[in-house]
Amino acid sequence: MTNSAEPAVLDTERVARLRRAAPALLLLLLLALASLLSNGTGGLQLASPDRSRVDQLRRAIGELPNDALVLIAFDADLGTYPEIRAATRVAIDDLAAHDARLAIVSFTPDGRAIAAAERDRIARGAGEPPADLGFVAGAEAGLVRSIASVVPESAQGPTADAIRDAGGGIGAFAMVLVVSGSDISARSWVEQVGSRLPELPLVAIAPTFLDPELEPYLRSGQLTALLATLRDGVAYVEAAAGSAGSNPGPTPGPLPMLVGMLAAIAVLAEAALRRFARRRGRRPKGRAPA
Amino acid sequence: MRRSILTAIVLVTGLVVLLDLMVVNPSLDAAAGAVNELLVLLAAAAAVGGGATLVAHHARSLAAGDGDSIGSIALLLGMAAILVAGLRPGSSGTADPAVLWLVAALLAPIAASVFALLFIFLLGAFRRGFALRVRETTLMAGAATVVIILLLPVGGQAGDWLAASAGWVRDVPLAGVFRGLLIGIGILVAVSAARSLLAMDGDDE
Repeated sequence: MTNSAEPAVLDTERVARLRRAAPALLLLLLLALASLLSNGTGGLQLASPDRSRVDQLRRAIGELPNDALVLIAFDADLGTYPEIRAATRVAIDDLAAHDARLAIVSFTPDGRAIAAAERDRIARGAGEPPADLGFVAGAEAGLVRSIASVVPESAQGPTADAIRDAGGGIGAFAMVLVVSGSDISARSWVEQVGSRLPELPLVAIAPTFLDPELEPYLRSGQLTALLATLRDGVAYVEAAAGSAGSNPGPTPGPLPMLVGMLAAIAVLAEAALRRFARRRGRRPKGRAPA
Repeated sequence: MRRSILTAIVLVTGLVVLLDLMVVNPSLDAAAGAVNELLVLLAAAAAVGGGATLVAHHARSLAAGDGDSIGSIALLLGMAAILVAGLRPGSSGTADPAVLWLVAALLAPIAASVFALLFIFLLGAFRRGFALRVRETTLMAGAATVVIILLLPVGGQAGDWLAASAGWVRDVPLAGVFRGLLIGIGILVAVSAARSLLAMDGDDE
């Protein structure tokens, strides 16, 4: 004998589950719609109106001598790289447009994977990819070792030879661009390399979550320039992509950001109001609220 | 006996690295370099050991039929795919097209999607937080709301004002707190390193 109430219970459960997931689904739908309607959003501006960070990085790149050796320390995370991807691509193109001789190295496996993909993308676009110095094992210990020697024996080409001629270590470079992630960030560079090579300019691009940690190093001058918020990154892309002849790929639009932020505020406000209403309802009558 | 040997190793290696940072001397530099090489080898061995332990753990779980078998299979297949693509004869390692495809077409989008879900989960955590600890959650949610409002991507005069206020929050209170944290961490690390170098620990007090 079957229980006729069972399907009804299942349906009720399904409806309840759908109702619980509805806000999240609605939010995702709104974000998808907003990203489609991103063009022509007058009055909205994602790029930071404060261009001081952008100017710092552009000045650091602009002051490089011709044919300067620049090391790109590529240690971004797979999770946060989309946030800094456009700024990183434009910075690499900006350096190339200033005739810098670029080399790329990674101290994290994630960074190495993304660096290899970026080199491949540059090569497919008919540009000259940075000289590949590969992956250095040992995290911060590897970073310290690279101060003495960063060029692997397998590295070939004029840039690798120029680094060897200039000593073969990190000191051979005129500047280091640190593309930061959570494992090895610009902080590791300041602590491990900056203390040993204080004259070497360090500039960094980092996801927003690293900004509070890196800000003091920028203030103290241990970092020459820092782009560590999405808005600074977008401002840099807008300022430099044209002159660097760069195609940074997809960049976030202001409308989906606005929708997401307003939705977050609405959710927080709704949760807070509901909680306080429930607390008020529980309070015995005749007692004044605290 | 074992403790004193360990202490002596810590003392010698610590002093060599410290002196190398302060004194320019080729012999000292070579000694510190050798210590550093050992550390790199140790880190590489730990990474390989960690990977092997992970494989062994999930293989054992599969064999025993306990735990999340689908997750274990996905993990082992993923590891095998990357290892085969990067280590097969004729492969160019991390620059091999198969590895690049796995990273660009699978790994990067999956990692970015999981990371993007934090937005939804964080809001869900805030909602649950209100039910558990009202005061702390209200404080956090209030601060988050202020920061979100300051970062709203608005143009014009209002946008300039919001951006300037966000810059002030970032440069003054936030940077102040983090600077204090960094200095505190630095002092603690220096003290604990000095205690290790001087062979002092809790038992000696």
